[in-house]
Amino acid sequence: MDSEDNVDKGFQQRKGDSILNCASSGIVTNSIYEKVPGIGMSSQSMFKSTNEVDPFYGSGWDSIVSLNPSGNFGGSSVVAQNEFANSHYSVVLENQTVNFPSESGLVDMVPKIPSFGSGSYSEMVSSFRMPECGPITESGCHPNYARSNIGGVERALTNIADAREHCQNSEDGILGVSPNGKRKRKASMGASTKNVEVEHQKDPSGDTSEFPKEDDDKKQKFEQNVGANLRNKQAVKQAKDNSMTAEPSKENYIHVRAKRGHATNSHSLAERVRRERISERMRLLQELVPGCNKITGKAVMLDEIINYVQSLQQQVEFLSMKLATVNPELDADIERILSKDILQFRSNNPATHGIGSGLSSPHPFMGFSPGTFPGVPGSNPPYHPLPQTLWNNDLQSILQMGFDANPPGSNLGPNGLSKMEL
Amino acid sequence: MTTLIMPSNHNSIKTRFTYRFARSLKKLNKNRPASQSMKETYRRYHMIRVASYASMASAVGPKRAWSRAVLWKIRNRTLHRTLMKKSRIHALRTRKVSGNPNDLRKLVPGGEGMDFSRLLNETAHYIKCLRTQVQIMKNIVDHCSN
Repeated sequence: MDSEDNVDKGFQQRKGDSILNCASSGIVTNSIYEKVPGIGMSSQSMFKSTNEVDPFYGSGWDSIVSLNPSGNFGGSSVVAQNEFANSHYSVVLENQTVNFPSESGLVDMVPKIPSFGSGSYSEMVSSFRMPECGPITESGCHPNYARSNIGGVERALTNIADAREHCQNSEDGILGVSPNGKRKRKASMGASTKNVEVEHQKDPSGDTSEFPKEDDDKKQKFEQNVGANLRNKQAVKQAKDNSMTAEPSKENYIHVRAKRGHATNSHSLAERVRRERISERMRLLQELVPGCNKITGKAVMLDEIINYVQSLQQQVEFLSMKLATVNPELDADIERILSKDILQFRSNNPATHGIGSGLSSPHPFMGFSPGTFPGVPGSNPPYHPLPQTLWNNDLQSILQMGFDANPPGSNLGPNGLSKMEL
Repeated sequence: MTTLIMPSNHNSIKTRFTYRFARSLKKLNKNRPASQSMKETYRRYHMIRVASYASMASAVGPKRAWSRAVLWKIRNRTLHRTLMKKSRIHALRTRKVSGNPNDLRKLVPGGEGMDFSRLLNETAHYIKCLRTQVQIMKNIVDHCSN
């Protein structure tokens, strides 16, 4: 879906900026992981291969370093990261063509990284995977997200900025902590593959002080890993937490700090992460489903979503019924005319939402008896009872929605409706 | 509907779906008899609907759980046809509006065996693709009836 590509290209700048803030070289190689899906293999299989192959790493380095787009950041590696991010992101999107896949694809990459535990370099890379996820996931959901989640992205940016300072301070600490990370990673691999681990975030304190703290954190992390079984939105979690971001450390766990006054039980933390993730997605869905902006509440929102999906499915059935009856003259030039229609549709209906377009389809038929299609050449076959009941059942619901959509007291509207309004 | 409007992407889900659906429509209409009994119409309606879902699912690819579920269902149609039909008709007749996640699970193909957050994810993608599907089919219908 091209629009998403275009839209997300606009976001790549933001993502690139946020990532460039972290001036560690590890971030650059993160882009390798992201570029990998663009090479045409599935992200997951690619990750499995990269897990075994170290040379790939080195080659990736060369290619990254050779890239040198303009930028006001120090370090060619960082700049190359920007380029990579741009190229890869659009490729990822093109492969998947919708926002959600890219987001889940990107985040699905993360659990594979833990097994790449060969050397501190990899840990650095995988650790820096985290902050990148934040802006990526944010921007990945951009078209639906933008209006309501700019704050989230900005939070991600500020978190990355914090991470940057900490990165520069504790780069040695990362390398030093690597053995612990390796050990922990192997343990976590025993957990479910969809392990979004939640761990307590460390303070950006001195390097050495991290070591003893880490062990405790890791034990707790491990419990949370097994218990939580979270999967996605790691970086969003990280971005949204108002705790300090301490550099995305050696593992790709979610760093969740127990907020002041909240329960610090590992289970409740995981539960909180899960809840927030669910509410995140509900918000996304809220933007997809038209007319749900004022709804607050999961149950009502779920109702609306279910209604919407049902109405869409019934529209498909209705249209396929219509196609079954209409004599198709479209053999030769269907492609050409269809692609033209798509463009025209875009220009004709700049502001229609899903329900709006759904309304427009039944509206022309409302003046006619439900038994016939207007304009059907030849004889009008009677409506099959199945779609007819659908039509009748949904006619009321669609009419209801039409009434709600009309501003109260307006005298406009289709002829048939105005009477009923009065 | 900013996400589904695309000027000229030659490999988007939308164009892939359009081509596949058009192909299947051509195939379906090739064998169309001159006279249309109601039963014929119903059968054609059924095939067209399946074709549209299959085209969309194959255009999406195996990356999405719901598309995989749709394709799997269609491939195993002969085994499950009667069962599905009966349960579907029954579900249609007794359809109520309730906000359970179970209802959403039934609506979104493949939604039975996933946790809630993933279900929401799949639902969002499914909604987008359904919208594309409806839009394209509407275009076809408009083009045919003009």
